[in-house]
Amino acid sequence: MSLAESPVHSSSSDDFTGFLERALGSGSSHSSPDEEADYESDDGSERSTKRRKVENLGSIGKTHGSTSQVFVEENSEASPKKVICTHPGSVKDLCIVCGQRVDEKSGVPLGYIHKDFWLNNDEIDRVRSTDIKKSLHLKKLYLVLDLDHTLLNSTHLNHMTAEEEYLHSQTDSLQDVSNGSLFRVDVMHMMTKLRPFVRKFLKEASEMFEMYIYTMGERAYALEMAKLLDPRKEYFGDRVISRDDGTQKHQKGLDVVLGHESAALILDDTENAWTKHKDNLILMERYHFFRSSCHQFGFHCKSLSELKSDESEPEGALATVLEVLKRIHNMFFYESKDNLIDRDVRQVLKTLRKEILKGCKIVFSRVFPSKFQAENHQLWKMAEQLGATCSTELDPSVTHVVSTDAGTEKSRWAVKEKKFLVHPQWIEASNYMWLKQAEDKFPVKQTKT
Amino acid sequence: MQLHPLHFGRNLRENLVAKLMKDVEGTCSGQHGFVVAITGIENIGKGLICDGTGFVTFAMKYQCVVFRPFKGEILEAVVTMVNKMGFFAEAGPVQIFVSNHLIPDDMEFQSGDMPNYTTSDGSVKIQKDSEVRLKIIGTRVDATEIFCIGTIKDDFLGVINDPATA
Repeated sequence: MSLAESPVHSSSSDDFTGFLERALGSGSSHSSPDEEADYESDDGSERSTKRRKVENLGSIGKTHGSTSQVFVEENSEASPKKVICTHPGSVKDLCIVCGQRVDEKSGVPLGYIHKDFWLNNDEIDRVRSTDIKKSLHLKKLYLVLDLDHTLLNSTHLNHMTAEEEYLHSQTDSLQDVSNGSLFRVDVMHMMTKLRPFVRKFLKEASEMFEMYIYTMGERAYALEMAKLLDPRKEYFGDRVISRDDGTQKHQKGLDVVLGHESAALILDDTENAWTKHKDNLILMERYHFFRSSCHQFGFHCKSLSELKSDESEPEGALATVLEVLKRIHNMFFYESKDNLIDRDVRQVLKTLRKEILKGCKIVFSRVFPSKFQAENHQLWKMAEQLGATCSTELDPSVTHVVSTDAGTEKSRWAVKEKKFLVHPQWIEASNYMWLKQAEDKFPVKQTKT
Repeated sequence: MQLHPLHFGRNLRENLVAKLMKDVEGTCSGQHGFVVAITGIENIGKGLICDGTGFVTFAMKYQCVVFRPFKGEILEAVVTMVNKMGFFAEAGPVQIFVSNHLIPDDMEFQSGDMPNYTTSDGSVKIQKDSEVRLKIIGTRVDATEIFCIGTIKDDFLGVINDPATA
């Protein structure tokens, strides 16, 4: 633009023109305003920011034409930024930020929040990272709870045996579920028994954790059970995830949980459901109350319901695991020296687990099939996770011999050397109870040959 | 409108109108939105008898009040669910989602047994059953329901009545 032709002439305009020309490049001085407008809009933002600076420096030599021109340019620059929306998520194919129709779905479906709710991976990361800061500030971690065999046990009404008929007269009313533990849920044709201690467990755990339900059951069942466990919706809210909401068949995953993996713990009785998140998992001893449930897992003994008994409330699995959770919570927040955001609950879990059988040196005898690679056996791995050292050779440092048969050479050696001779269940029990069990409770019987 | 021969007679017209109201009010059509109330009947066509069943089909022209939210419209809605991603609200039969991107930046999510969005000084709180004024920025009209995306990140939008203080 040639300012020399501009209608306003002031004493400083000559200097200013020179400055402008230098700034805009010498070629432009002879071009007409229209041509230059085209030229500039092609040439990106750098030039126009210069132009704006020029305007700020001295508004004296400025023509009316140039002002409006710059204004137009600014608009055309800013508007594309506004239009582009990354579509971080969608509900019913509508982008949650710009409201436009989004055709391709990407990311993770969060069906438990709303059907057809999708969030991008980036958005999930964003939500998680803002949320974890808040949670850590409130001293809360995430806890994902399984329903069946962990918090409760259900059976189909048709599968109840004659010996369980008495239960029908003992059910608690559905009107006030906050104190009962045995319910007949007629809409689902189910009888449900809550695990002893579950009320207190939920109450205390809710102070340390943000809790999710994650079950392999159907959605309707999950919601019904959530109503029994949490009638006032104070623990779980809308965080009830069912089979229909997972991203993979027959698998549970933390990908649909809006909590960071480094701060999430899982309570479940089925290890195989969580192949990707074994480090977050606290395995629970299965709760079988009903006969049908025992059968399903191949136990042919009398069920708790038939024996008219139940798990002990103060010493049951939930009470044990609550203590463990408390310890983990305590270690995570008060005993670690790392930066709060860098702490990893999986590491805490590992450390805590290693304490259980610390200092034990274990030799297995006739526990694994002879051709089996001993290091790969589940019990071997479990023992190592619990902090024990495993060995195949006997030597004076061995403390425990694990065997199913008291007649083997190693077993006899253990008796002779006054080492502990225990049944493999000792390891499993220690694993479930998070405490080294008294060895004399797990004697090895002499097999008659 | 199909009518059973049972209803023929003196009250044919009344029966037709009653059935129309029963069948149409409260439904949603993709084209027009929710039919709230029928206000008048323009005309009723000649009946067409259906062979075999005896049902008679009448073409009916009627006027009604409809509810169909548009982009840019301001609505008042009741919050139904609050979570980390934002909140859901209902304006009559219409469900609206407001993402946390479209909630003013000074409002933060607070978890707990009553999840809510609160300003740092605690003076404004959005939780379940709060009434909010919001602007529709996107709609999706299906055969049986309408779903909207809304925003409260604009002047004069936000909580209009707080159940906790009311």
